[in-house]
Amino acid sequence: MKNKRLLISTAVICLALIMATLPFIGACEGDKEGKTLKIGITTPTTGPAAEKGAPMGHANLDCIKYINEELGGVNGYPVEVVWLDNAYDAAKVVTIVKKFMDEGCLMYSTSSSAMMTASMEIANRAGFPGMAAFSSPIIYRPPHHIYGQMPDYGDDFLVFAKYYMENIWKGSGKPKMAMHLLNNSTGYGAKDAATAYAADLGIDIVAVEEHSSTTTSEMESLTRVKALNPDVLYISSTPAPTAVVVKNAYELGMYPGITIGCGHASFTSAFVDIAGADIAEGVYGVFPTVNWGDDVAAMDKMTEYCQSEHPDDYGNMDYITCWAQSLIMAEILRVALENVDYEVLAKGDAAAWEAIEKQGIQKLKDYDVEGLHGPVSYTPGDNRLSKSVRVFQVQSGEITPLTDWIDAPVVKYEEFDWFGQ
Amino acid sequence: MSQPCGTRNYKYSEDMAILRTKTHWVLFVGLLVLLFTAPLYFSNYWLGVCNLIGITLIAAIGLNILVGYCGQLSIGHAGFIAVGAYTTAILTNRLELPFLVGLICAGLVAGFIGLIFGMPSVRVKGFYLAITTIASQFIIIWVINHWSLTGGFLGIKVPYASIGGLVFRSESSQFYLIMIIAALCTFFAKNLARTKVGRAFVAIRDNDLAAQVMGVNLFYYKMLAFFIGCFFAGIAGALLAHWIGFLNTEQFSLTESILYIGMIIIGGLGTTLGPILGVVFIRVLQQLLTVEFAPFLEKSFTMLPAGFASGVTPMIFGLVIVLFLILEPRGIAHRWALFKAAYRLWPFSY
Repeated sequence: MKNKRLLISTAVICLALIMATLPFIGACEGDKEGKTLKIGITTPTTGPAAEKGAPMGHANLDCIKYINEELGGVNGYPVEVVWLDNAYDAAKVVTIVKKFMDEGCLMYSTSSSAMMTASMEIANRAGFPGMAAFSSPIIYRPPHHIYGQMPDYGDDFLVFAKYYMENIWKGSGKPKMAMHLLNNSTGYGAKDAATAYAADLGIDIVAVEEHSSTTTSEMESLTRVKALNPDVLYISSTPAPTAVVVKNAYELGMYPGITIGCGHASFTSAFVDIAGADIAEGVYGVFPTVNWGDDVAAMDKMTEYCQSEHPDDYGNMDYITCWAQSLIMAEILRVALENVDYEVLAKGDAAAWEAIEKQGIQKLKDYDVEGLHGPVSYTPGDNRLSKSVRVFQVQSGEITPLTDWIDAPVVKYEEFDWFGQ
Repeated sequence: MSQPCGTRNYKYSEDMAILRTKTHWVLFVGLLVLLFTAPLYFSNYWLGVCNLIGITLIAAIGLNILVGYCGQLSIGHAGFIAVGAYTTAILTNRLELPFLVGLICAGLVAGFIGLIFGMPSVRVKGFYLAITTIASQFIIIWVINHWSLTGGFLGIKVPYASIGGLVFRSESSQFYLIMIIAALCTFFAKNLARTKVGRAFVAIRDNDLAAQVMGVNLFYYKMLAFFIGCFFAGIAGALLAHWIGFLNTEQFSLTESILYIGMIIIGGLGTTLGPILGVVFIRVLQQLLTVEFAPFLEKSFTMLPAGFASGVTPMIFGLVIVLFLILEPRGIAHRWALFKAAYRLWPFSY
């Protein structure tokens, strides 16, 4: 009996000790003081979007390393990154964003619109500013605390459609366009733009097909599309499924023969690698950054870091996107520090988030991102920080620019009755 | 007063009590105290994890009733959670109805949809039933994506949960709401297993032909199991919707459905404790690997190739589950039962 009591006492003490130490797991990490500027970055480095997420995460961290080691941080304060892999998992990203807020991060970024969509309401409710590298209109229409680094998937469609009508379409009457869309906001962001403006642009949308991020064959949907005899196929998706659609179009004899255009979420070297350079040859796409090797200020350092830290990512456009994203976050911190004391930001609380948004993000004006993409400015009522894209084409296996920066117009989707319906 | 050996019951009520000894009561009260004081010492992040665990637990309890007790394999549970989530989103956002109406309707609608997809269970079972429930996952998600009322691919916002004038804005207030509902669901499931209905479920699971010969109405009880299982899924979906504040169908993937099956298998099928242990184990393991282990690896082993840490965590996650199933195929609840038996007989466990 004595032993039994002893056992019970030991068990109770053990349980109490375990419960007592649990809070420290959070508490130890919650230290918000210190002379650093903390930001949260989450990328889908594993999971179904890893072919994009991995190089994007590498670029984010490489650029922060460059900022800290070679530029001495932001105004002398090192940038501290809380980086977490969300595995393209909506449940995971929700707790990750809560973790960022708990850790006293000043703002956070996601690479994909899907992960931003899953987490944005948590951030909006708390007033925690976020920025998505790739965005769809739903994340900031109407605008709250979430910003788009670059033009969204709807803007891609508008710029490509305009370019197509002015430079490629030589027939008479309205060209017939088919759309092949990823079954999430990446795909349907483009559809919203088409619903809003295709008729005004003089384009007849004859088919809207959708695919999943794990699709391995789209022969069936493309057979339906082929029967409608379209002039142009527009794909808004990620690299792997886009490669499947393009390869299937090739196998069905649709391509070459029609024009294929891609939104920027897919138009990277990963797409060309997966589809094969011979099959991808001639495919058009829009992208909001410069290309590798272009003569811009950031190119040398970015190339140096990429080749020393992650040589496999060299040539991948997503790497450029997130190198630029980290530069923009550093610029936001710099501008905020011009307007508020470090002590305000050091707390990493709601007041710091408000300061970052009002005194940092919303004071951005013509920041050139060292030439990596179009200038970054905040315009009231428009949470896209950069509004410009360029049109590219796969030529001899390389993604080659065809145009200079083209500004995408602001579209107030929330004023359309059908938006979000 | 200590009893010389064993726990003797002299009344029927004592025999039926869920908490039968003083030790049970002390542990139970201690657990409740720890649980409901958690917001005092947990950070918002850990409270968020607890909320996710609570919501997952409600759904897993439903699945355990369906699969663990009644033996009806369902691999479309995330679809039924989605039905509940979107039901409350439509009712509270578009129709501006109160949260409680949304919550109850979420359960009822998910239960009703569960009845429809459960009908094949009368004719098919085992892997064949699994295939039909996978179909339910795809059909439900397709309908949500293409129905204007749900917001389609863009998704739909969901307001904070509120009862009367009390709005559940903070993580801690949501924690209390979720934990109270999770506790009620656990209590219901515990009692259900001890009723005529629960025994009928077990009879169907063990041998449906024998159960029918004994007079168990297979159609009625299988449908009831689907309704209850999906009702719980709907309640979980409603809480998830109000907790996250925004819904799109990517939150309800087939992978999630499979994970739910994994949780109840790891916890222990056909027990009340199983889903609790399985959900806590999987969700905490996910979080620890993501927010602690991977960053720790990245920082500590800089010589490893880039992305190695994040790449290795899914492998570790899979490996832990595989090892668990090999070493304890009857679930954590069985291990706990063995421990309790050994404790009860100690030091004469032989």
